[in-house]
Amino acid sequence: MASNPMQQFTVHKIGPEIKIAGVDLSFTNASLFMIISASIILLFLFLGTRERKIIPDKIQLTAELFYNFVAKMISDTAGSKAKPYFPFIFSLFMFVLFCNMVGMLPYSFTVTSHIIVTLIMALFIFVAVTVIGFIKHGFKYLGIFVPSGVPAVLLPLITLIEIISYLSRPVSLSVRLFANMMAGHTMLKVFGGFVVSLGILGGWLPLSFSVALTGLEILVAFLQAYVFAILTCIYLNDALNLHH
Amino acid sequence: MKRLLGLSIALVAKRTDLFAAEAGMPQLDPTYWASQAFWLILVFTILYISISKFYLPKIKENLDNRERKIKEDLENASKFKEQSEAKLKEYQVILSNAKKEVAKIHIDSKNDLDKNIQAKKEVIDKEIEKELTKAQKEIIELKKNSISSIQNISENIALNIIEKISGDKLNQSSIKATVEDVSKKNVGKYL
Repeated sequence: MASNPMQQFTVHKIGPEIKIAGVDLSFTNASLFMIISASIILLFLFLGTRERKIIPDKIQLTAELFYNFVAKMISDTAGSKAKPYFPFIFSLFMFVLFCNMVGMLPYSFTVTSHIIVTLIMALFIFVAVTVIGFIKHGFKYLGIFVPSGVPAVLLPLITLIEIISYLSRPVSLSVRLFANMMAGHTMLKVFGGFVVSLGILGGWLPLSFSVALTGLEILVAFLQAYVFAILTCIYLNDALNLHH
Repeated sequence: MKRLLGLSIALVAKRTDLFAAEAGMPQLDPTYWASQAFWLILVFTILYISISKFYLPKIKENLDNRERKIKEDLENASKFKEQSEAKLKEYQVILSNAKKEVAKIHIDSKNDLDKNIQAKKEVIDKEIEKELTKAQKEIIELKKNSISSIQNISENIALNIIEKISGDKLNQSSIKATVEDVSKKNVGKYL
């Protein structure tokens, strides 16, 4: 049924079934929109770096704006040691942002509204940050679970809490993005359904809500990409600069 | 907002019976999880490689270039400013020197002129004096000459008068002596 607000999140196969070693890796609408988002990013960066002028044109300026935005975000939160990870965080931010934004287009599919996608990204970040932490600091990295200046009585409890919070990072990171995207799109769909079902007489109120929500969702799309990237920076900062 | 969302979902559900047809979230259906993971990793890896190897260095290079250019231009500007200030100072020094020189030349030429005029004046004064003394001498000479010719004339006149009156010829030397005598007595009045 077309008016089911959850139906927009359905993944369906496009083209033939691809099975490798018994695992279904078929090309789906999710794959299609990942490729569309990535293509838009690459096209944008291609246009933004085609003519490298001293006085930039609009698209070059925008590309440089993104560059400086992410660079500043990294240097503010994780310091200069995080410079080697700049390309990754830039790619991550751009990918999440463009997936969110492409998802805002009507009849499109929001890649980041799927828990599996965000969880894989979050798990990769979690594992990578943990590995980086152990490579940089060895077993001293475990000191991240033992904050300094805590009374000895509370220390076991605090350490337990720290461990739980550390382990819940991938979950919170992935669920935050996925839930925000899903909730926003569901809400838009619901209000869209209201417009249709209440008809020409009563549909104006949900329509105006829909318009306002679209604006809000665009903000959320940007904000969640930013939050995703900045939390990655913060986790990276914990791994690079041991504070505890 | 959440209450609103719940309310709306409930309303829509009531109107359209949709949850009867398909309940739950498609996100939790694991059919395409592997596919999504595979494509995500593939697409993101390609994106990451092309961004990190190709686009970011380009942007960074351009930003660095611009920064360098701005820095260079600023440096050049300050250099040129210094240069122009130095030149201005130089110019002012030259100007003040020239002014001094002009004043000096002015004073010098004035002095020279004064001296020159003084010297010329002296020379002219001397010449005038010389001329004057010469003229006086000539006058005296003339006067002396005129006295002797006056004596001659008066001798002749006296000789003629005496001849006319008495008809005799008097001794010329005695007349001469008498005239000389008279003129000697009176010459002091004219010299």
